[in-house]
Amino acid sequence: MNQFNFISRRDALRRMGDGFGGLALASMLSEAAAATHSTAHVPHSIPKAKAVIQLYMHGGPSHVDLLDPKPMLNKFHDKTPPGEVADDEKRTKNLMGSPYQFKKCGESGLEFSEIQPFVSQHADEIAVVRSMFTEHRNHEQAIWMAQTGLTVAGRPTLGSWVTYGLGSENRNLPSFVALPDPKGQSVDGVRNWSSGWLPPRFQGTVFREQGSPVLHLEPSQPRPKEVTEGRFRLLKQLNQRHLVERSGELELEARIQSFEMASRMQLAATDALNLAQETPETQKLYGIDNPTTKSYGTRCLMARRLVERGVRFVSLFMAGQPWDTHSNNNKGTKACCDRTDLPIGGLITDLKRRGLLDSTLILWGGEFGRTPGAQQTKKNIEFGRDHHPYGFSVWMAGGGIKGGQAYGATDDFGYRAIENRTQTANLHATILHLLGLDHEILTYPHDGRDERLTDLYDAKVIKDLIV
Amino acid sequence: MRHLGLLSKFPCFYIVAIILCVTVVLEFRSETLAKESTKKQKTELTYENDILPIFRMKCFRCHAGVEPKGGLNLSQPSALLIGGDSGAAIRISAAESSLLYEKIASDEMPAAGQKLTAREKATVRTWINNGAKGISHAKTIDRSDEITGVELWSFNPPVRSKVPQVSAQKRVSNSIDAFILKKLEQKQLTLAAEADRLTLLRRASFDLTGLPPSPKEMKQFLDDKRPDAYTRMINRLLASPHYGERWGRHWLDVAGYTDSAGILSADVPLQLSYRYRDYVIRAFNKDKPYDRFLQEQIAGDELTDYWTAHDTMDTLPEDVVEGITATGFLRTAADASRPDFASIKNAAGQYFYPTMFDTLQIVCSSTMGLTVQCARCHSHKFDPIPQVDYFRMQAIFTGAFRPTDWVPQTKRRLKIATKKQKQAADKTNAEVEKNIKALKTGFEKYKQELKSQIFAKRLAALPVEIRDDVKNAIATKKESRNDIQKYLFEKFEKQLSPDTKDLDQIYKANFPAYVTKGKALNDQIAAEEKRRVIFGEVRALYDLPGSVTTPVLLRGDPQTPGPDVDPGVISTINTPNTFSWKAPPEGTRTSGRRLAFAQWLTQPDHPLTARVMVNRIWLHHFGTGIVSTPEDFGVSGSPPSHPELLDWLATEFVRNGWSIKHLHRLILTSSTWRQRSRVTPETRKKGTAVDPENRLLWRQNLQRLQAEPLRDAVLATSGLLNPTLYGAPLAVHRLSSGEVIVPVKSAPDRRSIYIQILRLKPQTMLRAFDQPEMTVNCTNRSTSTVSTQALTLLNSDPMVRAANAFAKRVQEDQPADPAGYAVLTAFSRPATEDERRLFTQFLNEQTTRHLAPHKSEDQKKAKIIAESKQLALADLCHMLLSANEFAYID
Repeated sequence: MNQFNFISRRDALRRMGDGFGGLALASMLSEAAAATHSTAHVPHSIPKAKAVIQLYMHGGPSHVDLLDPKPMLNKFHDKTPPGEVADDEKRTKNLMGSPYQFKKCGESGLEFSEIQPFVSQHADEIAVVRSMFTEHRNHEQAIWMAQTGLTVAGRPTLGSWVTYGLGSENRNLPSFVALPDPKGQSVDGVRNWSSGWLPPRFQGTVFREQGSPVLHLEPSQPRPKEVTEGRFRLLKQLNQRHLVERSGELELEARIQSFEMASRMQLAATDALNLAQETPETQKLYGIDNPTTKSYGTRCLMARRLVERGVRFVSLFMAGQPWDTHSNNNKGTKACCDRTDLPIGGLITDLKRRGLLDSTLILWGGEFGRTPGAQQTKKNIEFGRDHHPYGFSVWMAGGGIKGGQAYGATDDFGYRAIENRTQTANLHATILHLLGLDHEILTYPHDGRDERLTDLYDAKVIKDLIV
Repeated sequence: MRHLGLLSKFPCFYIVAIILCVTVVLEFRSETLAKESTKKQKTELTYENDILPIFRMKCFRCHAGVEPKGGLNLSQPSALLIGGDSGAAIRISAAESSLLYEKIASDEMPAAGQKLTAREKATVRTWINNGAKGISHAKTIDRSDEITGVELWSFNPPVRSKVPQVSAQKRVSNSIDAFILKKLEQKQLTLAAEADRLTLLRRASFDLTGLPPSPKEMKQFLDDKRPDAYTRMINRLLASPHYGERWGRHWLDVAGYTDSAGILSADVPLQLSYRYRDYVIRAFNKDKPYDRFLQEQIAGDELTDYWTAHDTMDTLPEDVVEGITATGFLRTAADASRPDFASIKNAAGQYFYPTMFDTLQIVCSSTMGLTVQCARCHSHKFDPIPQVDYFRMQAIFTGAFRPTDWVPQTKRRLKIATKKQKQAADKTNAEVEKNIKALKTGFEKYKQELKSQIFAKRLAALPVEIRDDVKNAIATKKESRNDIQKYLFEKFEKQLSPDTKDLDQIYKANFPAYVTKGKALNDQIAAEEKRRVIFGEVRALYDLPGSVTTPVLLRGDPQTPGPDVDPGVISTINTPNTFSWKAPPEGTRTSGRRLAFAQWLTQPDHPLTARVMVNRIWLHHFGTGIVSTPEDFGVSGSPPSHPELLDWLATEFVRNGWSIKHLHRLILTSSTWRQRSRVTPETRKKGTAVDPENRLLWRQNLQRLQAEPLRDAVLATSGLLNPTLYGAPLAVHRLSSGEVIVPVKSAPDRRSIYIQILRLKPQTMLRAFDQPEMTVNCTNRSTSTVSTQALTLLNSDPMVRAANAFAKRVQEDQPADPAGYAVLTAFSRPATEDERRLFTQFLNEQTTRHLAPHKSEDQKKAKIIAESKQLALADLCHMLLSANEFAYID
């Protein structure tokens, strides 16, 4: 009898080491796992993508100013909206057209507004989903929907589901990395990369843009290398003596490995984030030479280097919620593009030329869109747009996405998704599918039942989006 | 605009889905249409007048009659909420998420024939958003009468079996062993040998207090040769106030305790939650009977008759204060509500109901081990819990919560005071206000006088010819000044009137009395402030006045309400005493619903209450419960490994006055608990072959310290631990590195239970070691092994600080043998000879490594050598704190 069989599925999930630290243990368990738990670490179908870079846009970008051109909205600028698109919360007033010109881009002629000059160069790689809708009008709940599949707090994020499903490709790096903005927390903070009730090893590990890449990778008072090694040898000896008398205790072995992994991670993470290894041309491509684009560009470049090294899921965030343009919508939206458009364009270019785009899925989007109607929060302040859950856009590129298309449509005013309405669960199912995971099989026991990312929804993979 | 104030205050927060659209439907393309609909504004859209005609014309071809398509009959106003095969046709006040609207808006419906016009769509939409006037709530609900709990063991009362006879009778210390041995012997297994005394002491110390034994305690125990030394040791630990801190923490997990409001990113810190936390710690320390403990938490106000005490007595008796504090249990669910939430339409469904749902989940999972939340949307898929019973139980709490008439969480607190005290306080405080105001006015007058004096003095310095003119110019109102006066004003005003911001300095320089008078004023105000009466407050739950109804929510959705139900309980649980509640006479301050529930729940033969609790206690002593899913005693939970033992313990618990400490004593004196975890390879092989998961307990389980005892043990071992009990939480702080700590300057070295728990700012070390993310509550902690834990232990500042303190401590306490003493302190055992050799070598080598970076001439200096030695010792201490042996209990 296999001596590891006694770990039950639930226990194995609870107790196994992290994707990297516990990898050896995981492989020791693989036979048992294969028998009892077919989901983790086993793709359900042939994957198109191996990794995901999520460009999360906190605040809710204005779809009608970026990705969903609405001539009618411009035509009826400053007019009262018709009944079927009147703001049902009465928070906005007259309709507000977009000041930005939309242009047909690439061979496909997919339309982008002029404030995305770099991303739009990749129009033929990009599929815009124009028919998204969500279920809550407040940021946090809508973020939970976008990131975890329900408007309920505390569920695992997309990144942790992916990591749970696929495991790691790199023994020395975490498989889910979060890249928050050094300027500050995003709205909803640490919940953005939480593993919820999935085991903590599936949560995102924060890598930092400045200083030591991972918290506690090094002590705040540096130690000489020999001192560190001496300490480590002693610890190993202590643990070895302890284990000898308790042989067969898997948890102890897993913990020893987690310490060894910690020391290997120091090298691997430091190397992964050493951007000095990149040529000036590449750095420029990401806008690292420009103060406006430097920060986001740096994180985009970090994302590429991590994905290159086998990290499965990288999430990029911006401080606060810059797309939340209740006032000064036009300027605010453009300012966000100024910071991100060039770096994202550079990222796609770079992935493409390195042959990584086909296996890397890029997700761009926020928790909702913005109202076609104008909002004025204070007198004498330029108009903004309010939160809008009934119709908005996200885009995806690479990783098996059929680019150069707009999927679904909102009505004439960008108010409501009416054609190929896309609930978040469909998007999630599609993302998992591209990674070779079946959203119905990828489940985890919680509160007495097997829950999934697309829980409670009759979700469908959107075939039209896939190559 | 209605929300302007809110928006400017909270620019990023925004309000909830689907607010009623009271606006008129305006067709901007046609003036006449616009006018017409303006008229319509006066009359509200109704099903009969406005909607039925549209449906009749466009929808009835399929959705009416005997066999309507998709099961949806739009001709009956009662059918819209029940809907058809795909669910509710509409959600009241939420058109955009109403299926019917979705279908007509996208022209998917009508499938055949003319689509709805833009205006018709707008009419339907506005009608739904205005509350769907004219439809009736569903009258029928799925009563699921066929659902029964008869076949589910946990829904039937525990039966106390006879204690079995076993072969290894000499290992039977108490009945627990007999039940355990019975099953072991059936598989030709037996209990492992008893662990040695220091192992038992370490295990008992961590189990009961969450702290390691001190070297002194080890010596005392080893030296105690009395026959009852072991029992004495257990009793000592049970009497320690640190016992409540450990076991209180276990309960706070299932209660979902935090110090923040949750939901929104602001994650508002709650200043008063800790009073409930302290109540829990005290309750465990006092060994409060568990039935009373539950009654207080669910209905402490009703149990102690808070309102009578409040209205009639001079002060609130202690038990009443305890009672209302205990109801903090019902306030742990995330609740971010603020007064301005009142302006949010549908806020009940979006914010208030969820808090109530969470509360019911916390109550049922913590006390009964049930996942009732599944029954909110439909009768439970696995367990015999009908949906209607979910809402009957919700009705127990609607008197207090009132989702449709919500009181924001910020306002839900009770003063620890009676009506009389409050009235007296109001009077005193009014006097205080008045006196302070008088004092301040008096002083202001005095200052005005000084100001005039200065002015007069400066004026006197002007040439006499212009003095009066200047004075007049300044005294004249701005708009009445003539050109000359304007000139004079501009020229002299600044010069004569002292600049306001310099006044204080000028007075001080010119009037010595000003300083003394100012001081006197402050003293007088302070004296008055001292008289001000401020009462302590608690975050309590209590009924609000007025009658209340509880609708069943179809599919659990507040936007599709069904018929009202009365308070009740899960009817399928077979309890000797049924739930009984009668509405109290009108005007009664509290409905008595929660007390009736608490009494039903704590009846001696309740099938779940005692079983669930003894299982939790067992779990924390063995690492796994008799039911290995403490969170789920239902059908999909795992069956008990020892059903007779579970029932015996449950009945024993109740017979002994629901005393938790009695159970600890029973368990900790059993041979089962006292077994070794470290067994011979032969025993392991034999046991594993038959019972790989050790469910039968042929040995004790090796157990890892949870986050709090791990951190507390680091502090205790290093000598840093500050044992202060109770009080306001230690505020956490997020560093720019992202690490969340309690800053060193704010006395961080208290036990972990006192660290503030913010849902969005978890203390880094505790979270790394699996302190739960409190979304609702935590009924079973997970244990992870990840490298971030290793990094935290090896490199975080708090650990480095502890290691240095540890090294200093051992050096001071046992200068002759610091390393050996460190092992004794950290691992609760003497160091072996082999270890001593290892340490000597390590210390020598490591000292050299620390010396190496120094200049060669410095390497000979005694001070540098001493420092390096101390650093090496700190490294050794740090590795002990990081070792497996420190984190695992044999």
